[in-house]
Amino acid sequence: MGLLTKEVERAPCTVEISHKFESLHAHVRFDNGAVIYPGDEVKVQGPEIMAPFGEIVTEQRMATIFRASKLERLWTRLTGDLEVMELCEFSFSDEVTL
Amino acid sequence: MNMHTADAVTAEESIAIQERQAAFDSKAATAVAMQDTLLTPRFYTTDFDELDAIDVSSVREDWDKLIAQMVSDPNKGHFKKNEDWDHVDWDGMDPTLRKEFIDFLISSCTAEFSGCVLYKEMKRRGSNKDITQLFQLMARDEARHAGFINDALREAGVAVNLGFLTQKKKYTYFRPKFIYYATYLSEKIGYARYITIFRHLEAHPEHRFHPIFKWFQEWCNDEFSHGEAFALLMKTDPKLTSGGNVWWIKFFLTAVYSTMHVRDHQRPAFHAALGVDTDWYGHEVFTKTSELSKQIFPITLDIEHPRWARGLKRLQAANADIAEAKERGGLSGWLGKTWGSARAAAAFVSLYTIPSVPNRVPESPRLEPAY
Repeated sequence: MGLLTKEVERAPCTVEISHKFESLHAHVRFDNGAVIYPGDEVKVQGPEIMAPFGEIVTEQRMATIFRASKLERLWTRLTGDLEVMELCEFSFSDEVTL
Repeated sequence: MNMHTADAVTAEESIAIQERQAAFDSKAATAVAMQDTLLTPRFYTTDFDELDAIDVSSVREDWDKLIAQMVSDPNKGHFKKNEDWDHVDWDGMDPTLRKEFIDFLISSCTAEFSGCVLYKEMKRRGSNKDITQLFQLMARDEARHAGFINDALREAGVAVNLGFLTQKKKYTYFRPKFIYYATYLSEKIGYARYITIFRHLEAHPEHRFHPIFKWFQEWCNDEFSHGEAFALLMKTDPKLTSGGNVWWIKFFLTAVYSTMHVRDHQRPAFHAALGVDTDWYGHEVFTKTSELSKQIFPITLDIEHPRWARGLKRLQAANADIAEAKERGGLSGWLGKTWGSARAAAAFVSLYTIPSVPNRVPESPRLEPAY
């Protein structure tokens, strides 16, 4: 990992999407144990995955991990905290006037 | 027969069912052309080693009781539509109200969903059994709430799109202690918000324009337990609630309260339909949240201070001006935005510097929902 250079790696992953009344969730698990660090970007390859209502879909896919540079990782660690208010239920929509 | 998660005996089983089961009921979903809303949750990393190192033995008794209660899952049968789910006349609803209410549902759904993603990630990256079990249980509740809201949205013709996974998404970073402060407050203020609306509508059922409000009481009890868990987590390390961290606590209290004030004022039709004065509602919710947070925080905010209400108003006005300036664009938009941001920052500083009220934290933080 360079100070300014980004590295790109591919990792097999399992995607699970639940579009059920009892549970709405979507999770990605890297099958090779790849670990995500601050500032990294992840993109699951292939067409959009959507479970029809009432179903759970599990798919094996490849994911591309765009590793953040050292500097970017540091920056994210220092500034990520500023976005912590997003965790509140009422602070998600960007629209100020609806 | 397909098992419903509500039939599960243990939390593990409930989750296993969620993960295993695939009932097919997609006809209704594809039948109508729906308005598509892409859910955009955020993705977080934190210091997972620090999280894993938490030792709950100093609060073991309270911890085990709380976890046992969450495992028994008293709300497992609650999130089902029954005969109390009245027909909703979406077409007859005032368009402004409809828009604001749908925004309310989408932002709630996104928040529950993001909570689920965060908790699940913490569960997956940890190896400390106490911690992973807690986060698994909370992820279960959040996913269930998200599913319930999603269903209400579907009725309104809004389809939630989970296609964000195949888009590039960036992982940000929060320090564990900030996650504790923010999620603790977010769960407790969530409880206070839901229960205040629920009690208000109990007294004024004529304002209940959607049946989802009837479910708020049990719903908010989940939020309450999650808050309890974070209170216990903070209790394991006295440093988290003393010394310089008290300034962080004050910061989070101020930020969470003022964010809520600003956001709620963006939904005037929604609050008018509920028959709720937004300022009264905010004050009520802050009072309850402050009372609850005395279980763990050594201070509360002085929300009766004359500068408090004034500061919130200034913040709200600055925020509206920033939005208007953004819309305008160009140089005048940029100037307006800069000026608005400076005023918002000044208003926040004014709120933050109101002297706080000291509080003696009890030996055991555990509380039961009482509002």
